[in-house]
Amino acid sequence: MAGNMRQYAFFLGCIAPNRYPGCESAAIKTSAKVGLELLPLKGAGCCPAPGAFGSIDLHVWYALAARNIVLAEQMNMDITLICNGCYKSIWEVNHILKHNDELRDGVNEVLKEVDMEFKGSIDVWHLAELYYDPKICGVEKIASTVTRPLTGTKIAVHYGCHLMKPGKERHFGDTENPMWIEELVEALGAEAVQYRNKMQCCGAGGGVRGYDITHALDITNEKLINLQEVGADALTEVCPFCQLQYDRGQVEIEEKFGQKYGLPVLHYNELLGLAQGMSPDELALDLHGVDCKPFLEKIL
Amino acid sequence: MATDKNYGNPELENKLRDRYYYTTDSNPEFLEDVKTLSRTIAHMCFQCGTCTGSCPSAPRSSYRIRLFMRRGVLGLEQEALNDPDLWLCTTCYSCTDRCPRDIAPTDVIMAMRNLAFKYDIVPRNFLKTVQLIYNTGHGVPNNDVNRAARVKLGLTADPPTTHGYPEFIPGIQKIMDHYEMKDNADRILAEGGQ
Repeated sequence: MAGNMRQYAFFLGCIAPNRYPGCESAAIKTSAKVGLELLPLKGAGCCPAPGAFGSIDLHVWYALAARNIVLAEQMNMDITLICNGCYKSIWEVNHILKHNDELRDGVNEVLKEVDMEFKGSIDVWHLAELYYDPKICGVEKIASTVTRPLTGTKIAVHYGCHLMKPGKERHFGDTENPMWIEELVEALGAEAVQYRNKMQCCGAGGGVRGYDITHALDITNEKLINLQEVGADALTEVCPFCQLQYDRGQVEIEEKFGQKYGLPVLHYNELLGLAQGMSPDELALDLHGVDCKPFLEKIL
Repeated sequence: MATDKNYGNPELENKLRDRYYYTTDSNPEFLEDVKTLSRTIAHMCFQCGTCTGSCPSAPRSSYRIRLFMRRGVLGLEQEALNDPDLWLCTTCYSCTDRCPRDIAPTDVIMAMRNLAFKYDIVPRNFLKTVQLIYNTGHGVPNNDVNRAARVKLGLTADPPTTHGYPEFIPGIQKIMDHYEMKDNADRILAEGGQ
């Protein structure tokens, strides 16, 4: 079995391991069932946060992201990750340093102080894009691992911003109305529903959640109104930071604006885990701010 | 008989009449700095407003990305860097995807924030993220509730990151010290800046 597994260095980031450990655990277990082995990237740190940290000094952002990339280069392995924010830092800095000699030389001068060198020898992938890629996994293979189909549930998708945008520098195609994550959701037996302004930001990025929480929540609230209109049973995303903004955000919205939605928010890997037969306990769904029970009752 | 347009504001009337009105507030190097840091062609903006129209922050605040683009082109450095709206961009890149001139306004904002930090203009939450990463390697560190949950899931109480391998933290600190980032953050926080 091990011989057929594709191995990746699993970059965890911050929110997944430190707030939603179910995402981390689910990513490792669900990926093993589709032939992807995720190995720990020892000593990795924050990606660092593209907005909250990059806003202060982009050069330090390049250097710290490069440090994380070099750890994987030393393992001789491509990186995979489950967070859009991490994707922006790790994928983008890897891409920039591979193509910009001046910036790479600057970064390497600093990395020399910690006995490291950015070589540009590996690639970076979001786990969701590996799942969707028929050469690596593909929608059909995902569907073949489902033992508990999510039949009868309506699930909406939040793509988040930093995975696919800016579209001109990425490789995901259309960023106005993409449908590939919906295909991954329907592979689990659920119905993927469309809603108004699907591609709008969750509101948390760019350090705005920390700077002006009311402003950030107001953006989230607009999305929740649109989600409520189409009667979604759950919202899924591929970014723990978006998850935090929707999930804990709903609690904060109730406190601040007095509006209650009760919309369960699950990372795609948590959803995949449920469809592969994992129990809510195995996914630590009790750590979620919004009770997932109404959704779980439809599938368990 | 035609009458002159009048706004009832003598100062503005004078400004409008003066075709060569100019302000000493303009710093032409500002645009160059923005372009270098953002790696985008900020000077190509023709003020169509597609960016503001795409912006999720615009409908709920006075933040206007188009205004910042203009400030960049005109070199209005202090006006741009001292405007608290600078920090309301969620960096969603909708404006960047839709810009008909292939500019990345989001990256212009990021560059302006970097330049603001050089003048010690920065909201506190950004500096706290700097301190957290310096001290723990993580912008959002682990806590006891989460440790217990991780163990229940069969994971290690601390993830295999700088939390599980703290010997990697000095490397991060060395890199940040190279740019004197932590010292600056500490100093600005101690001085009770914004």
